[in-house]
Amino acid sequence: MRADFANDSGPPAGQSAGAAKLNALHPTLPWILAWLLLLPIPFCLTNAYTQFVVNVICINIILAVGLNIVKGFAGQVTVGHIALAAVGAYTSAVVSTKAGIPFWGALPLAMLLTAFAGAIVGIPSFRLEGAYLALATLGLAESVRIVISGTEWLGAAIGYEGIPPPYLGSFALADHRSYYYVVMPLALVGLYFSFSILRSDVGRAFKAVREDPLAAAANGVNVRKYKLIAFVLSALYAGCAGSLQAHMAPGFLHPNSYTITEMVTLLLMVVFGGIGHIWGGVIGAIIVTIVDDLTRDYYQYRMAMFGAVIVLTVMFMPRGVGGLIDDFLRRRRFASIRQKRAELAATTAPEET
Amino acid sequence: MTHKTKASILALLPAAALGAGLLSAPAHAQDGVIRIGITLRMVVENGLKYGQLAKDELEGVNAAGGVNGKKIEVILLDDECKPDKGIANVNRFIHQHKVHLVLGSTCSSVSLPMVDVTAKEEVPQIVPHSTNANITKKGSAWVFRTSVSERFYAAIHAKYLSEKVGKKVAYLYTTDGAAIGFAKDYMAFMRRTYQTEPLYEAQMQETDLDFRSHLLKIKSLNPEVLAIGGQLDAIARITQQALEVGIPAKVRRVAASAASNAPVPELAGDAVVGLTFAAAFSCKDERPVAQQFVKMVQEKYKVRCPDHDFSQAYETAQLLKLALKNAKLELTEASLKADRAAIRDALANIQNYSGLASGPINFCADPTPQCRDGNRTGILVEYTKGGKDYDMNVLARVSFEPDFGL
Repeated sequence: MRADFANDSGPPAGQSAGAAKLNALHPTLPWILAWLLLLPIPFCLTNAYTQFVVNVICINIILAVGLNIVKGFAGQVTVGHIALAAVGAYTSAVVSTKAGIPFWGALPLAMLLTAFAGAIVGIPSFRLEGAYLALATLGLAESVRIVISGTEWLGAAIGYEGIPPPYLGSFALADHRSYYYVVMPLALVGLYFSFSILRSDVGRAFKAVREDPLAAAANGVNVRKYKLIAFVLSALYAGCAGSLQAHMAPGFLHPNSYTITEMVTLLLMVVFGGIGHIWGGVIGAIIVTIVDDLTRDYYQYRMAMFGAVIVLTVMFMPRGVGGLIDDFLRRRRFASIRQKRAELAATTAPEET
Repeated sequence: MTHKTKASILALLPAAALGAGLLSAPAHAQDGVIRIGITLRMVVENGLKYGQLAKDELEGVNAAGGVNGKKIEVILLDDECKPDKGIANVNRFIHQHKVHLVLGSTCSSVSLPMVDVTAKEEVPQIVPHSTNANITKKGSAWVFRTSVSERFYAAIHAKYLSEKVGKKVAYLYTTDGAAIGFAKDYMAFMRRTYQTEPLYEAQMQETDLDFRSHLLKIKSLNPEVLAIGGQLDAIARITQQALEVGIPAKVRRVAASAASNAPVPELAGDAVVGLTFAAAFSCKDERPVAQQFVKMVQEKYKVRCPDHDFSQAYETAQLLKLALKNAKLELTEASLKADRAAIRDALANIQNYSGLASGPINFCADPTPQCRDGNRTGILVEYTKGGKDYDMNVLARVSFEPDFGL
């Protein structure tokens, strides 16, 4: 599946003219403005449960945006992303509980170790593609879950308890509202770097590898190197999301939270949002998390409803929400061009005498 | 509008409709109503029926005017035996539905983190099915358990079989919380009491289908007891494959409490004969209260021989009704915190409750396992016939002191 990147080289899709002007002043300015706009959200929500769901959405955005790097930008079919999140989560849990390292130290450590694990997951991509790579990464992902299930010092099948929340001085960011101020900025930073990667030389190399690895290699792109970089960058995001999952109240991890079902849900976020479309991944993460949460009320029919969304998406919206946005923007651009041409034609047309 | 645009809107409709639900303000908790949140593993054999039975029992009082004139409203959710779903459910109960009490869960790995949430938010929680000993060891003043803790179950198996059969035990168990608890506690009891090491020990995946390689090794070691830990499908498979590889019937098979679930004898057929397990209830219990319950389940839920998960769901609902009757509740938005504390105190005051459990249920105020593991009586059951018309026999009934196994 090829994604439309009409908007990837310019301002982010949907970015207004005002935001483009801000971007021209300084690239980080729109993001700082977005951060300021998102700051008061906890005070607008009706209850702490909604805040809990918003926090989960932020974590899922990090996961989806990370998966989009390897799957959307570099075109590598991986189903091992959820296992990388597990690596990040358990690393963060272990270093904070056993070594006493606080969250702010555990988070980068977890990201680094997950990046290393990402490199291992990426090695099969040198020789495998498509369904074969998917199978290899699935095997690696299941191995991680099985190893955790059988390792007593990781809590095995009982679960890993007592993971402390992040602290700011002596203040614990343990409740859902204060934890939002940890997950929301990290989600924004993740998004910012995702755009930066896409617009960089590395991002262009990813796209070249995705479109045609042979042609990319013929043009001097080191295909293996860039495939590995895609896996490592994607793993950094997974490690960050995993660490955030681990430290979110009540600080409990279990291998059952990292099964193939969770991986399919994560893939759905990216597919629903639009593969290769960063904002699509964000929209996908938001909608899929909400659908996943709300369908829990109808537990008898939950999987059928969830399945219906997947089938309808794949049938009628194969390029996801991102594709719809692309189409809308393209139509608007063409309409604008047509209008300008018409105006030009009107002004340059010889006046009849 | 083009066909493609229409189709895209159609694809987005279900998601948009559901998304609108979250953005809309939640239904305000109604004053004057007792709200109870139930989270269980629902989508398994009889899972929906356990949840429905608890809901029916609690909401059933509304027809007779409620508890002290107060109506009960139950919110029932499925946690799929996944801790993240259980945590989400309990957060929803507490913050969105403003429940007075939480009932759950089935799996220990879900109940364990739930205890942390209910303790922090100061909401009473009653655990109907989970057996992991740590649930009540966390020191939460808000948790109560009606199921039998595994610290008692392990001793029932180990003591009875060591004295009646032998001490050469081979352990085969899967990687789920209850199975690990069963095997490890059995081993610990044997080491502590009889200074006996396992003859053989192997851990398998929950999804494994073929256990024959381990069973052949076990056969060559001539054990006296084969201890099987797992969920119901694993127990059925291991039992059947043990017979296939030729482990003689005189080697006593003993399994975790999941063996009490109907699919085990139905799937394993006659290989299940002689399989022993500890449970909280047997449908062969001849007491009138038990037979009345069995009849009710047969008629209402179409289950011939209700297992102990049915009895514990029912028992939990009865205990809650009793506590709610004894608690002084105002049931206003402002009194929510005080009402929750009143329900907790009323539960802690339940003493010598006699119901479906084979012994009395006792709670008390201290946040210790001695006070909060209410049911301390287990029974040892043996299957005497397999297949659809399976049958069983109660071998022993054992009650323990509150601090046993701590």
